[in-house]
Amino acid sequence: MININSLSKEYIMGDNKLLALDNIDLSINEGDFVSIMGSSGSGKSTLMNIIGCLDVPSSGEYHFRDNNVSTLNSNKLAELRNKDIGFVFQNFNLLPRLNAQENVVLPLLYSGKNLKERNQLAIDALESVGLKDRVHHRPNQLSGGQQQRVSIARAIAGSPKLILADEPTGALDSKTGLEIMKILNDLNAKGITIVLVTHEDDIANYGSRIIKMKDGKILEDKKNVNN
Amino acid sequence: MSITDLIYLSQKSLRSNILRSILTSLGIIIGVSSVITMISIGSGARIEVEQQIERFGSNNLIVRSQSSSNRGVSMGANSVNTLTLKDMEALKEELPAIKAIAPRVSLSTQIVANGNNWLATVTGTTNDYFDLGNWKFENGRSFEEEELASGSRVAIIGKTVQKNLFDTDSPIDEVIRINKVPFTVIGLLDAKGGTAWADLDDTVIVPLKTAKQRLVAKKFPGDQIRSMTINVRSSDLLFKTEKDVDTVMRKLHKISANGNPDFVIRNYAQFLNARQESSRVMSILLATVAGISLIVGGIGIMNIMLVTVTERTKEIGVCMSVGAKKRDILLQFLIESLMISLIGGLIGIALGLGVIYGVSEYFKWKMSLDYMSIVLSFVFSSSIGIIFGFYPARKAANLNPIDALRYE
Repeated sequence: MININSLSKEYIMGDNKLLALDNIDLSINEGDFVSIMGSSGSGKSTLMNIIGCLDVPSSGEYHFRDNNVSTLNSNKLAELRNKDIGFVFQNFNLLPRLNAQENVVLPLLYSGKNLKERNQLAIDALESVGLKDRVHHRPNQLSGGQQQRVSIARAIAGSPKLILADEPTGALDSKTGLEIMKILNDLNAKGITIVLVTHEDDIANYGSRIIKMKDGKILEDKKNVNN
Repeated sequence: MSITDLIYLSQKSLRSNILRSILTSLGIIIGVSSVITMISIGSGARIEVEQQIERFGSNNLIVRSQSSSNRGVSMGANSVNTLTLKDMEALKEELPAIKAIAPRVSLSTQIVANGNNWLATVTGTTNDYFDLGNWKFENGRSFEEEELASGSRVAIIGKTVQKNLFDTDSPIDEVIRINKVPFTVIGLLDAKGGTAWADLDDTVIVPLKTAKQRLVAKKFPGDQIRSMTINVRSSDLLFKTEKDVDTVMRKLHKISANGNPDFVIRNYAQFLNARQESSRVMSILLATVAGISLIVGGIGIMNIMLVTVTERTKEIGVCMSVGAKKRDILLQFLIESLMISLIGGLIGIALGLGVIYGVSEYFKWKMSLDYMSIVLSFVFSSSIGIIFGFYPARKAANLNPIDALRYE
């Protein structure tokens, strides 16, 4: 599903060149649950942004399914993010003015689904994360765990192939964090590929494969024996 | 993403900041209301001028007697009648541009009829008077040639005189006493309505000869008359004829080209031009205000939209991460600024209508509401919204998704 060949990403900050990703090779199969670990500045977030088609590499190749992502324009990238990829962020990134249902509908708006269909999809998605009775609540009327569940619902509403979770439990207490991880685990069990970025070992342990990064390089990539 | 979805999202964000949205549209509000008021003043003036022409007849010059000042001492407007019927005949002969001339003598006197009495202006003239002044008959007829020649005691009255003497009854064939002389009413004129300074319908018209013999024999002895209305063949000839009349009159009255004339020529077109000119100046003033405030309003919208884009950078990033294309973001912000300017436009139209109503009620100015001006205001305000909203919207659409998402 994901094929990365000698991919590099460099940022130019003033006079300095910062090599965020240094010649990375990586492939992820459909149905994988991959945890990416590393300290801050290790390049894990940059890698995740590139996998998520939010950013493009400076050099090297990235194939997502049948697309050579390095060659795509911004509209094509937006379409990929819309149809095939769902994001779950550390701080939820819900739109404060919209209620839960409207937040979940957002990606469906951009994919041009009609009103009836997208409302149904949004309610189904909210129901699957256990928020059926919260559809008309705004983010500030929801707890952190509920907000993160709304953002998971938003990520899965368009039935994507890949979910990218960037420290999804980082802003939650450990009990709520475990609930969120259980939802991600269930999604993976239904066949959705999950790439998780975290720096917590017990969260990373949900993955079937753990990749450790440092200084823009992959330090270690192995099957998770604990899982 | 459909337009209704875009509108839905835009109104959500506008309503979350309703005071700011309205303050932002203030410039548009002032601009649009000025546009509407301006157009309405302009077309009001045009209609008023058309009505005046309708009332008083077009292409007319009025020549009046005027006491020439004697060693710097004016003798008073009514003291001398310097115009005569001979002047009139001479003008007709000398100037082919003149189509017709109606002479006039007048006095203000008591009219008695039906046990009522009423003070009205009595005019002695010929049938030309009706054509030149655009008078229409509601009832009855104008003078017969024989009546004019013999000085018959017949009269034609205006609506105000009828109302005060006969109420709603027909005055035709009734007898009225003008200065104790009995006259038979043969015609009733259509109402013309009042001007700011006179009620045109408060009038009684009798044959010139009758008036001179029976009513104003002392005031206008011989062939003296008070004034004459000259109808010129076409409006192009009006100003030239005015000069020619002056020349001929000076020759007749033996007054040198730079001497004080004993007559005055009024050109009604002059007055109308002045009226039109003053409303044009007013319109230019308002157009300037409108133009400036629309531009300032547009800049205000641009400013607020730039602030909004900055404030919502992270939100834009979120939308992009879930699949918003550049076009979607561009359209959303464009629609938002369009909505601000359209709301401003609507409030401006309401305000403009209020101003129009207030001015026409309070100052008795003629204002005419032109529906085109409302359409024009909509076009103006929406194009302002799109033009000034474009730069901020493009800025939002060109954000890099990563940078936008990371923005705090």
